Amino acid sequence: MMRPVSIIGIGSTSFGKHAGRSIESLATQAGADALDDAGIDRGMIGAVYLGNFISGPLNGQEVLAGLVADQLGLPNVPCTKVEGACASGGIAFRHAWLAIATGQCDAALVLGAETMTHASGAEVTAALNCAMDNRSDGASGLTFPGLFGMAWRVHAERYGTTRAQVSAVVRKNKANGLRNPLAQMGADLCDDEIVQSPMICDPLRLFDCCPVSDGAAALVLIASDRTRDGAGMPVDVLASIQTRGSARLAGHPDLCSFDATVSAARRAFEMTGLGARDIDLVELHDCFSIAEIVDSEDLGLVPRGAGAGWAAEGRTAVGGDIAVNPSGGLLAKGHPVGATGVGQLYEAVLQLRGRHANQVPNAAIAMTHNLGGTGVACTVNLLKRPDA
Amino acid sequence: MTQVQVLRCESCGALDPGPREVCPRCFRRSLAPVAVPGTGRLLSWTMVRRAPTRFRGEAPYAVASVELDAGVRVTGRLENAEDETAPGARVEASGSGSGYAIFRSVE
Repeated sequence: MMRPVSIIGIGSTSFGKHAGRSIESLATQAGADALDDAGIDRGMIGAVYLGNFISGPLNGQEVLAGLVADQLGLPNVPCTKVEGACASGGIAFRHAWLAIATGQCDAALVLGAETMTHASGAEVTAALNCAMDNRSDGASGLTFPGLFGMAWRVHAERYGTTRAQVSAVVRKNKANGLRNPLAQMGADLCDDEIVQSPMICDPLRLFDCCPVSDGAAALVLIASDRTRDGAGMPVDVLASIQTRGSARLAGHPDLCSFDATVSAARRAFEMTGLGARDIDLVELHDCFSIAEIVDSEDLGLVPRGAGAGWAAEGRTAVGGDIAVNPSGGLLAKGHPVGATGVGQLYEAVLQLRGRHANQVPNAAIAMTHNLGGTGVACTVNLLKRPDA
Repeated sequence: MTQVQVLRCESCGALDPGPREVCPRCFRRSLAPVAVPGTGRLLSWTMVRRAPTRFRGEAPYAVASVELDAGVRVTGRLENAEDETAPGARVEASGSGSGYAIFRSVE
């Protein structure tokens, strides 16, 4: 028997360059903010889950969950670091949700943190490539931009997707980022600036790729029947799904679709009885412009092949059919890898509280989608405003 | 013609690009190396211009996903990629690198 869970506290650093700040310091800041926002006694926290991907290779620092819990003055409770590449944060959230839903504890703290900007580009690319199956795809020299460059080529060939349509995703997310005070790279871009940016992995150019970022985010989860023990404005967790897809390109039936996303969304909809039309906004995993297009189709929010067209027609903008990445997404808000999935939930909670700087009018139901590796790990969450 | 090294299950005959320890179809531990014809169809490709540390000296290089006519998919390199090289193009193996096959478009 599972019991309902709510998010009652949120905290986040800005995403971007935090020169000289350690990963523990950023995570502690986000965690302290989330605990303050929740307004619950620290003694209620019965578990800590921290999402992180590459603190080992880039910082030489692990056991972050226990380190940060100690900094935060939390009681002697299980503290677990979770790794699932770019989905690390989403998986950390799901484990905290499970711990409460199954009655292991009444409240839990979720953290996500990463620092990357101090490392060289080649070091970051090499560290990120830890998320690839390095006995197979990795041996060829494939990179993550490369994976999505290949997806783009298939999408263009099959659906006629154009450069200009893909650029519409970049322009939308960069413009959304301008309205988000936490975003690293909001911008008012024109198509020329995008097509003149350096080529990274054909046809992906620099502006098609999310930046390298530092940042941390945190959430306090609580059993829904205990929300009165806190002072934060609660948001209900309707579903939290985690799935697996093939770790290898060879195992993907389709190079421009991720099974893990398709199955996670299907389960989330089945579990709640909700459908795509019920979703007011989604924070999805746009590590690259083409990724937003593929994800929006895989999640069933946009018809197959129409992801690029919908962006170009403004249907995924705030005020459109469904707001996709009103935070600016990974493209503009930034992608401190382990923090990203938690940061998406932070943004969704602000929207459902009606207090986002780029507010989706009357937002009642939000989805978040976090994808790791070559689609090997995925989480999809559905959240609801309690009075909706 | 250059062949491509893959794995074949000695129990059920399944082909897999490998490396892998357990047959993905029958779950027996009877995968063995086999060379198959290097002809196939290009699924997609990209030109990697920013490479990880290990491959820095080789960039730019084209990575491709190829469906071999033998019925197995492999990730390798494409040596004569042009902007107009499109998914679906016929390719054949022309050599191999460390742990991957090298292909060339033959259209």
